[in-house]
Amino acid sequence: MKYRNVMMSVVFLAALALLATGCATTQTPQATDQAAAATSWQYHEIVDAAFVGQYAKVPMAEDVMIIDSRPFKPKYVKGHIPMATSIPYSQMDKMLDQLPENKDSLLIFYCGGLKCKLSHKAAYKAESLGYKNVKVFAEGYPGWLKVPGNYGSVSVDWMKAQVDKGADMVIVDARPKRKKYDKGHLPGAVSIPDTQFDKFKDQLPEDKNTQLVFYCGGLKCKLSHKSAAKAIAMGYTNVKVFATGYPSWVAYVGKEGAGSTIQAGKEEGSIDIAAFEKIISDNPQSIYLVDVRDADEFATGSFQSAVNIPVEVLEAKVKTLPADRPIVFVCSTGARSGESFYMLQDLRPELKKVYYLEAELTFNKDGSFKIVEPQS
Amino acid sequence: MRRFVMLAVAMMFVFTSVGASLAMEQGNKRKGKYTYRKVYKSCNQRGEVDSTKPPLNPSDKTQAEWEALFDSGDFTPFGCQDEWTNLSDTEITDIFTYMHAHASDSPTPLKCK
Repeated sequence: MKYRNVMMSVVFLAALALLATGCATTQTPQATDQAAAATSWQYHEIVDAAFVGQYAKVPMAEDVMIIDSRPFKPKYVKGHIPMATSIPYSQMDKMLDQLPENKDSLLIFYCGGLKCKLSHKAAYKAESLGYKNVKVFAEGYPGWLKVPGNYGSVSVDWMKAQVDKGADMVIVDARPKRKKYDKGHLPGAVSIPDTQFDKFKDQLPEDKNTQLVFYCGGLKCKLSHKSAAKAIAMGYTNVKVFATGYPSWVAYVGKEGAGSTIQAGKEEGSIDIAAFEKIISDNPQSIYLVDVRDADEFATGSFQSAVNIPVEVLEAKVKTLPADRPIVFVCSTGARSGESFYMLQDLRPELKKVYYLEAELTFNKDGSFKIVEPQS
Repeated sequence: MRRFVMLAVAMMFVFTSVGASLAMEQGNKRKGKYTYRKVYKSCNQRGEVDSTKPPLNPSDKTQAEWEALFDSGDFTPFGCQDEWTNLSDTEITDIFTYMHAHASDSPTPLKCK
């Protein structure tokens, strides 16, 4: 009986083995086909993420260029290997002047992963132009992000769009606070200077999946990269670096949009009316706008970006007000918003950028509004 | 000569009275509103009054009546004397400015909403 059982098992195993080899033999020609198909367009010098990682650093080595061959929008702006230059394959002929003069320079092309041909085509083109040290990082941007500790960089176009739509993310200014941040920063950015990261890291959100974007003083600045690495080590899973940083922001949106300072009005705590109107039209998300009128008044019309916290309930909610951007209170005359301003002076004295609109404010049915400065 | 003295006296009267009312006006009505309401919030927490709503609205008196009340220094009509005695002069001036600015005969009479 025992012997029979053993025999059965042997036969069963043998059958299994046969089945497995059978499967293997049927698969092999397919794999070869795939390989053949792949090699027909693949470039001959393929490198891995570790190779790219040596160069995707600040300061960047001379005579090295990492080139993103994907379309500029929406791909490159949304995320690219740090320090990579955007030369979309479709635009490459027009952008050849961006390639280094020295033909011995190391050029590393990448695009959207193993199935993407753009980087291979671009590499062939570079080779034909006489470049002698051309590589393709075939696993591309997805492969880059798969490596633990790696993160992507984003462009100013993407940053501006996120800020404008009030995207759910935390922007961190990694530069020194007094010398840099206080003189001007991205709207809503919190200040966590890289040198004092451990001291101020509690300003980072509790939820480790929150989108964090670090920036500092531009492509030669290491601080944002260092801070990003620290945040990843803390367990944050969604970290990006806005590597061209504050200089590119100022160049892109202008200094006024940089949320540097809010022009104060005549009365203590009031905001300059013209400055307020400009913020509402150009960059409403740069402030946390609170309409402190009653819910029924709010329902008849208010600013699109405003939240409604009637002054009666403000005290109960005062701790929930954000510290990451200036707070501006509005109501219909300045009375309740002024009261709110003084409430914050009293109950949240650590918030320094709090303002109210000292003016008569009316909303029209069509959503437009009118601000009349009080006669004094 | 007599005319000149009369004029001087009249001038002095005008200046001193203007000076006095300006001093009273110098408070901050926005801050006054917050402070005024805060008095009744803490008074209510202490248990002396049932509501956080102040007993007197700015529109309950005329500007002259508010001036008289605040000049007298007697704040008993407001109740909550523990809180009132703890207010600084600046805070009282702020509250006065708030009441005065929205008195019944002011351009913008206001209930303490």
